[in-house]
Amino acid sequence: MRIATDIGGTFTDLVYVDDNGEIGVAKSPTTPPNFEKGVLDVIGKSGVDKSAISTFIHGTTVIINALTEKKGAKTALITTKGFRDVLEIARGNRPDLFNIRYKKPKAFIDRYLRKEVEERLNYKGEVLTPLNKEQIKEIVDYFKREEVEAIAVSYLHAYVNPTHERKTVQLIKELWPEVYVTASHEVTKEWREYERTNTVALNAYVQPTATKYIDKLHNELEKFVDSKNFIMQSNGGTTTFEEAKKVPINMVESGPVAGIYGAAVLGKVIGEENVIAFDIGGTTAKCSLIENGEVKVSTDYYIERTDRNAGYPIKTPVVDIVEIGNGGGSIAWIDEAGSLKVGPQSAGAVPGPVSYGQGGTEPTTTDANLLTGRLSAKNFDYEVNLDKVKQVMKEKVASHFNLEVEEAALGIIRIANSNMLNALKLISIRKGHNPQDFTLVAFGGGGSMHAPALALELGIKKVVIPIASPVFSAWGMLMTDLRHDYIKTFIKRLGNLDLTELMDQWTSMEEEAIDQFWKEGFDKKDIEFHRYLDMRYVGQEHTVKVPVPGGKWNEETRQAIIEKFHELHEKNYTFRLEETETEIVNLHVTGFGKVNSPEMKKIYRNTTLMDAKIETRDVYYENPNGWVKTDVYDRELLPINEVIQGPAIIEEKAAVTVIYKGQTLIVDEYGNLIIETEER
Amino acid sequence: MTEKVRIDPFTLEIVKDSLLAIGDEMFIALAKTSMSPIIYEVLDYASGLTDAKGQLLTQGNGVAGFTGMLSFMVKETLEKYGKTNNLRPGDIIIINDPYGGGGSHLSDVGLVMPIFYEDELIAFSANKAHWTEVGGKDPGSFTNDSTDIFQEGLQFPCIKLFHAGEINEGLVEMIRANVRFPDQSLGDMWAQIAALKTGEKRVKEICKKYGKDVILSSITSLLDHGEIISRQELAKLPKGTFKAESIVDTDGIGNGPFPIKVKVTVTDDEFICDFRGSSPQVPGPVNCSYTGLVSAVRTIYLAIINSGNDVNDGAFRPLKVIADKKSIMSAERPVPMSNYYETLIGCLDLVWQALAPHLPERLAAGHLSSVCAVTLSGTHQDTEEPFLIVEPSVGGWGGAPGQDGASGQFCITDGETYNVPVEIAETRYGVLLDEYSLRVDGAGAGEYIGGKGVIRSYRALSDGQTATVTFGRNKVKPWGINGGQEGTPNEFYVEKANGEVDGPFGVYPRYPLQKNDVIKLITATGGGYGDPLKRPAEQVAMDVKNEYYTAEEARDLFGVSVNPVTFQYKEMDVRG
Repeated sequence: MRIATDIGGTFTDLVYVDDNGEIGVAKSPTTPPNFEKGVLDVIGKSGVDKSAISTFIHGTTVIINALTEKKGAKTALITTKGFRDVLEIARGNRPDLFNIRYKKPKAFIDRYLRKEVEERLNYKGEVLTPLNKEQIKEIVDYFKREEVEAIAVSYLHAYVNPTHERKTVQLIKELWPEVYVTASHEVTKEWREYERTNTVALNAYVQPTATKYIDKLHNELEKFVDSKNFIMQSNGGTTTFEEAKKVPINMVESGPVAGIYGAAVLGKVIGEENVIAFDIGGTTAKCSLIENGEVKVSTDYYIERTDRNAGYPIKTPVVDIVEIGNGGGSIAWIDEAGSLKVGPQSAGAVPGPVSYGQGGTEPTTTDANLLTGRLSAKNFDYEVNLDKVKQVMKEKVASHFNLEVEEAALGIIRIANSNMLNALKLISIRKGHNPQDFTLVAFGGGGSMHAPALALELGIKKVVIPIASPVFSAWGMLMTDLRHDYIKTFIKRLGNLDLTELMDQWTSMEEEAIDQFWKEGFDKKDIEFHRYLDMRYVGQEHTVKVPVPGGKWNEETRQAIIEKFHELHEKNYTFRLEETETEIVNLHVTGFGKVNSPEMKKIYRNTTLMDAKIETRDVYYENPNGWVKTDVYDRELLPINEVIQGPAIIEEKAAVTVIYKGQTLIVDEYGNLIIETEER
Repeated sequence: MTEKVRIDPFTLEIVKDSLLAIGDEMFIALAKTSMSPIIYEVLDYASGLTDAKGQLLTQGNGVAGFTGMLSFMVKETLEKYGKTNNLRPGDIIIINDPYGGGGSHLSDVGLVMPIFYEDELIAFSANKAHWTEVGGKDPGSFTNDSTDIFQEGLQFPCIKLFHAGEINEGLVEMIRANVRFPDQSLGDMWAQIAALKTGEKRVKEICKKYGKDVILSSITSLLDHGEIISRQELAKLPKGTFKAESIVDTDGIGNGPFPIKVKVTVTDDEFICDFRGSSPQVPGPVNCSYTGLVSAVRTIYLAIINSGNDVNDGAFRPLKVIADKKSIMSAERPVPMSNYYETLIGCLDLVWQALAPHLPERLAAGHLSSVCAVTLSGTHQDTEEPFLIVEPSVGGWGGAPGQDGASGQFCITDGETYNVPVEIAETRYGVLLDEYSLRVDGAGAGEYIGGKGVIRSYRALSDGQTATVTFGRNKVKPWGINGGQEGTPNEFYVEKANGEVDGPFGVYPRYPLQKNDVIKLITATGGGYGDPLKRPAEQVAMDVKNEYYTAEEARDLFGVSVNPVTFQYKEMDVRG
């Protein structure tokens, strides 16, 4: 049996698939700060036969929590002489343009714990000043006195030549074997010293926490099960517990990316290679575009970055996700000039929307969905006081616009949808993709509620609400392979590059991969490699990721790659510069260690639409405007492949799907809901 | 108003958001395809949409100094072509004339595109971007010792680059022939064109989706929204008249300092900045146009009313800016304008300084108050290709109640501006950096201390390099408030390979550097806020441990005795 556990803010989810392909789910409260307890709880609650667990896959928020709550280890930094302040100067940017009291993000490592060493390389990696080992000894003594727990080492140009960093780490380990130490090249081999230094600093900062957590979890699991254990990384693949401890910063988006990966896997099963994955939770909505079955990964990742705050860069491979502050709990409010806004403030799980009756006093998207009949008071785990919800909606929104309560509620839904629509456009239209060529796979507690309306707006023909949609991230984990990304800055013009030199680079990167996979129990023949080049026109800064062939290259390959780049540049940015030289910035190798993922199992049902029908209720729509009697069905009882015409509502535990006039819905043979929009 | 009633408030809101999203998209598109580091790293450009009358609807700014400048370009376009009904779909107008609609200097090249829907002019998309090269007497074009506009490069006096979709090939050839790095400049031009077309396409799409009337109503509503928020904040400000005086250091060719002054009058419905009585326009290139002055005032006004980043002309309706004709901040043809931004910042800083004591919760003590521009050119030691660095510098910001000043940030007129990473600079340019570190000089003491400036030292790796440095705020220090101490000036030194040290300087054209000469650029520490004796002693001890202040400074400035080894501390009697 394969089980996946995903720690979320409120709940720890579990999804398992047994050897017969049967799927089961469970939920249990998250238990900070001892998160492993929640994991064991949910395993207990699921009732699975623990001894039958063969593979255990885990998504964790331990890393991101340590970072955002600033609860990592006491961390120190060693840099090249003259550059210890790079971490504090950062890039000097101020996204909040008109704020004279802008608060620059504070460096994770204080100045007194940042020390400099004499050593220097030039941009080609040649040694200008040799490493001063005596200074390192003095620094280590100082760090011992300061009771430092973790050390980061970051030297200029180490991405070209890591020798000095390696020697430093080796020396520190000899002098002080107990301390955690990481060098920048072990975490990222890309240029830009601030970004690389910050990445290694944050890796060191979370390493003690991560190691203790993984060890504890491992020990607990070992007591009752002899499973292979994996952890979800931000790149959409997994790694073993042992490897995860080396570069824990790779787990920064451990949980959220699993759903995106799951959408790609599901897409392949149902024959949809171009997918927009869309996940709506209580506080945020996240989306990501999958093209030709491939999840997009980049290292342009930041924490705490907003349009007002510079945030902290982490140059580790992370699935490209656009996230906005709109979810079921998002609060609707009227701004100073009288416009209706929704989010980013959320009522969260506590007190939650007004309809929870747990003390919420601000109208939320969930309340709006209730007042327009999209949600039924019977769906809630709480006793809903409908009058109270109406009263709040009237006072806080409707009366301001002199509207009826349901009109105001519909306004909230429309504004929330508009916010989400802008996020979806950002990953599709604005990147040169036509959304009509994509299938929308929607999940999370609110995905199914909003996705069909958004599909109508974007002209998307097909929406899929997958099985287990409320816990789909955990489902995605069940389907994962091992994955490692190797990215290295390598500035060369492609036109006149010696191909042998490039082949040597690919070979050495792939050998590094083979070595890492071997440690994780994979044979060379079981590894699948994909290569990419981050490319640009000479003189530009931003790059385009170009998929390139494996194996040995010749002149034809070179020309084909250049042409492919022109094509992708034009697609992304509307023009090409045929005459301008092209330049490589990064080499990128992705290695997959393929595991035997479970097959999706077909379901059999002997039910009729009548069996599935729960009730007919009034639902308030925009187009045509007014209350319409709408049939409501139970998802678990819907017969397979029978067509339901919109408008209709499908209810399940923890989620509701709303389809509109002009849309149809069927349950496919795997249990997914497939919603199609008729051609207009 | 009748129209507004017909359209429900949520549709208006959704369309407004769509307009803002179009602005964002245009902004990103430009950065991603530009050829010049000054655009893609420094984000020295602005882009946005105006209505058919040239009122700004949304502006994506990389730098705050361009606030609202786009509308002046559009208004000049309307003046020249709109009145005579000479605008066609597919037209693109090019403009960099600083005295009129361009408003800044020749390096900032503006493009304007009318957007038509169903044969009606409904909006404009516009952008302006700092081209690395527009010709003129010096590499990099903008210079600090020009004596008239003709030395500063090509002038585009609001002319058609595209006529009904057809490019003016002759004009493109002229540009190619007159600039030093034509691929970069024309590459940037194409990036600007692509961004404008994106704006046009998106506006037409929403017109098609919602109908023209809904769009036009939403535009009115967007502008009114800006005005309402602006007036509400204005009502909260203290009323009265507030004054400040300062100087612009030099005009770069040996004249100065030049006095500048402001009288700010805040009433219930107006915010008036009167700069009359300041210096007349000057022989060297620090002259600023009236458009530039208005942008300065708009920037500090937005900071004061704390309106966030929603920039539209509605927000500026309560503003009034007055200056003498042919003054240093309202200059006229043909005086040189290349370093207009130093006077622009000076004017902005005046308004800030006049109001800071009265608005401690919104403002802060003085900051580096200069772009601190550096131009370094020469030949790369390995590739033997010419290189050109054009970059602003980071420095210290002032302290404010509840927060220390930020260290190492670009000045107020920059913004979403990024410094150039050392590893990128050393790869591309013929230099090695000896250090990039915080300037620790004991200045800016206060209950909340001023942020630190930085030291950035470039070592030339080939002979015959040339550095042009324009550091303002070299003669006056960043000011403290309420007992906070002053910061330190911006300055630079040259440490020659033979051991000789030259400097300090503020503004210097074309300093020659030979191999292994080091140019040491040092930026200002910001002013402090409040009495240093009120800074918590524990914090002062930590400052000493972090080497932000020495133990002596802790004792003399803050009245705290700190053991330099153990960092144990004792408050001294002077703290009372």
